[in-house]
Amino acid sequence: MDNIITAEHITKQFTGHRALDDVSVSVPRGKVYGLLGPNGAGKTTLIRIINHITAPDSGIVTFNGHPLTQNDVSNIGYLPEERGLYKKMKVGDQAMFFARLKGLSRQEAGARLREWFERLEISDWWDKKVETLSKGMAQKVQFIVTVLHKPELLIFDEPFSGFDPINANILKREILRLRDEGATVIFSTHNMSSVEAICDDITLINRSHNILSGSVADIKEKFSNQAYRFTFDGNTDSIREIADRAGLIMTPGVPDRYGHSTVTIELGNADRREIISEFNNKTNLIAFEKLTPTFDDIFIRAVSESNYHDDEANNGKEEFSNGK
Amino acid sequence: MANNLGLVIEREYLERVKQKSFLISTILVPIIMIGIMVLPSLFLFLGKSETMKVWVVDNTGKIFNRLEGNDDIEFISASAPVDSLKANEDVGSILVIPATAIENPERGITLLSRESISMMSDEFVTSQLEKTIRDIRLESYDIPDLKEIIQKSNADVKLSTVRIQDGEDQETSSMASYFISLAVDMLLYMFIMIYGQMVMTSIVEEKTSKVLEVVVSSVRPFQLMMGKIAGVGLVAITQILIWAVLIGLATGLGAPILMGQLASDPEVPTEVMTGIGQFTDPVFLISLLINILLYFIGGFLFYSSMYAAVGSAVSNIQDASQLSTIATMPILISIMGSMAIINDPSGALAFWLSIIPFTSPMVMMARLPYGVPVWENILSLGLLYASFVGMIWVCAKIYRVGIFMNGKKPTLVEIIKWARYK
Repeated sequence: MDNIITAEHITKQFTGHRALDDVSVSVPRGKVYGLLGPNGAGKTTLIRIINHITAPDSGIVTFNGHPLTQNDVSNIGYLPEERGLYKKMKVGDQAMFFARLKGLSRQEAGARLREWFERLEISDWWDKKVETLSKGMAQKVQFIVTVLHKPELLIFDEPFSGFDPINANILKREILRLRDEGATVIFSTHNMSSVEAICDDITLINRSHNILSGSVADIKEKFSNQAYRFTFDGNTDSIREIADRAGLIMTPGVPDRYGHSTVTIELGNADRREIISEFNNKTNLIAFEKLTPTFDDIFIRAVSESNYHDDEANNGKEEFSNGK
Repeated sequence: MANNLGLVIEREYLERVKQKSFLISTILVPIIMIGIMVLPSLFLFLGKSETMKVWVVDNTGKIFNRLEGNDDIEFISASAPVDSLKANEDVGSILVIPATAIENPERGITLLSRESISMMSDEFVTSQLEKTIRDIRLESYDIPDLKEIIQKSNADVKLSTVRIQDGEDQETSSMASYFISLAVDMLLYMFIMIYGQMVMTSIVEEKTSKVLEVVVSSVRPFQLMMGKIAGVGLVAITQILIWAVLIGLATGLGAPILMGQLASDPEVPTEVMTGIGQFTDPVFLISLLINILLYFIGGFLFYSSMYAAVGSAVSNIQDASQLSTIATMPILISIMGSMAIINDPSGALAFWLSIIPFTSPMVMMARLPYGVPVWENILSLGLLYASFVGMIWVCAKIYRVGIFMNGKKPTLVEIIKWARYK
């Protein structure tokens, strides 16, 4: 696959704490790539390394097939989580300054800025000082500054924080439009509901490690565990018998006031068609549907599993050293 | 990317010059300076209104006739005894001269006064009495023309100091050198304190307004530091030029008064004027001026980069002001050094202080008017400018690491460690 940026075996150590430990990610071109993880997992450090703001202790970052250099930075647009603008500068001057820093000429920057200001309906802010804007307003300006030079790679760190739902939707629309125009987007967040709506692929970082990577569809499939919800007439006895025999995990269920019972069963590796036809034979099956986990579920499951393994490994070490 | 430096300079300069505070300080400072220059003479002028009257009770009978008053003090012969004079409210001051005053002036002569007596009046009365008693004593020897003989035998020596250089001797003036050194040093000190700290604040402001991460994703920290220092430097030049014009205009109008005052004071101007007049060698003068300019700029650049390093290391202005002692200490040491080496401008202390970049701008400035060997001059300048670039490089390193340190104030050891990070 054609990757715009790959980071291989990245390790970054700060005094007394390892922010990234052998993390690798590959971002396919023209996609929206979600970089997920709990607070303090190392997302921002990884983004700063990709941005050439800081260097990794070991590992290599490749941009468009060559090792990342300072010159590639003009091909990257970065919206940091810690947002800010020069407070005393006027909105227009400020946008112009950053646009020219990214290598645009004054004329080119002016034309593009006017277009963007119109699109986000903020044209009358041009001569306002930033300190007079609200947080959300300033973020719109910052968004424009990030994307104005039409970089190949856009990096948004928590782009929706501070936005009301209406403006968040406008932003979402613009991000997807930029992708459709050919840009690659790295999108860092811990807001899972936006992941499904926007991302094509994700990487989940927890405690400095990459614990999950892949396309959104694949990951959902992997975490679904073939869970199905069945609704049928009568109680659950006959169905539990089948499930137990096949060794399947099944939730308890009691008939509702119409005499219908609803249970969730994880079919796992079992033959789905066979099981279902057996159910159908033994009960009066009214409905069944496949359940797909939300990304919230996946996130929580993946993170807690990885923490559990971590802790277990650490406990093991401690016991070992105690035994000595 | 190269023209990004220009953009940073442009922004730094325009945003500062456009601020209201720039306008206010640019206008207020000359007004205050002129106030400081004009007010004392104004007070002096206003305070001069009354003449102090001194009633003299002269028990020798010889002294009073010879006392000469001036604009401030008038001597009046008192006929009444001291006690009744004391009782009289109209009598401000009483000078009591005992009968033994000529033989034994060390004791007994008393000036009684209702108000405190200024130092100038005290000195004037004392000198009048000393002169009178000396004259009376001289006359008592009864030698003809003794007073004239003594006057003729007084010698007034003026020492010319000459520096030997390239077979061509040059007259110098330690007095003038001292004044020039001191003035230029003070100027540089003020310059660094005002504008060097401006560089530091500028960097810290970017951190508190959180714009820095956007900036560093577009500009190399090295360029950012360079741009800030150059931008603030240009602001400084602009402000100083405006001040120079304003003060020039003001003193152009007020100069005749000032000059008149200087000329009427017989002691100071002759020394200073002859001193300045001795800098006649144009080559020496031009090299001196160029050197002053180079050290001034170099000093500003170097110290600004120190302040920039402090700004890079901290995350808020409170920590910055504490840590800026690191940058302020060498400046204070330099000033003390400059004072110290004036007694021995070519000694070992003077040499080392004027070579080491931390102290060299100020100390060298103090040494320059006395003449400095060319190789020392070049070595010191070279080191100064090289350390400036090195310092900026270190700054950029600290800056990069400092981004990640939120809230915590770093120690000096940590900062040094940061400078070595990859």
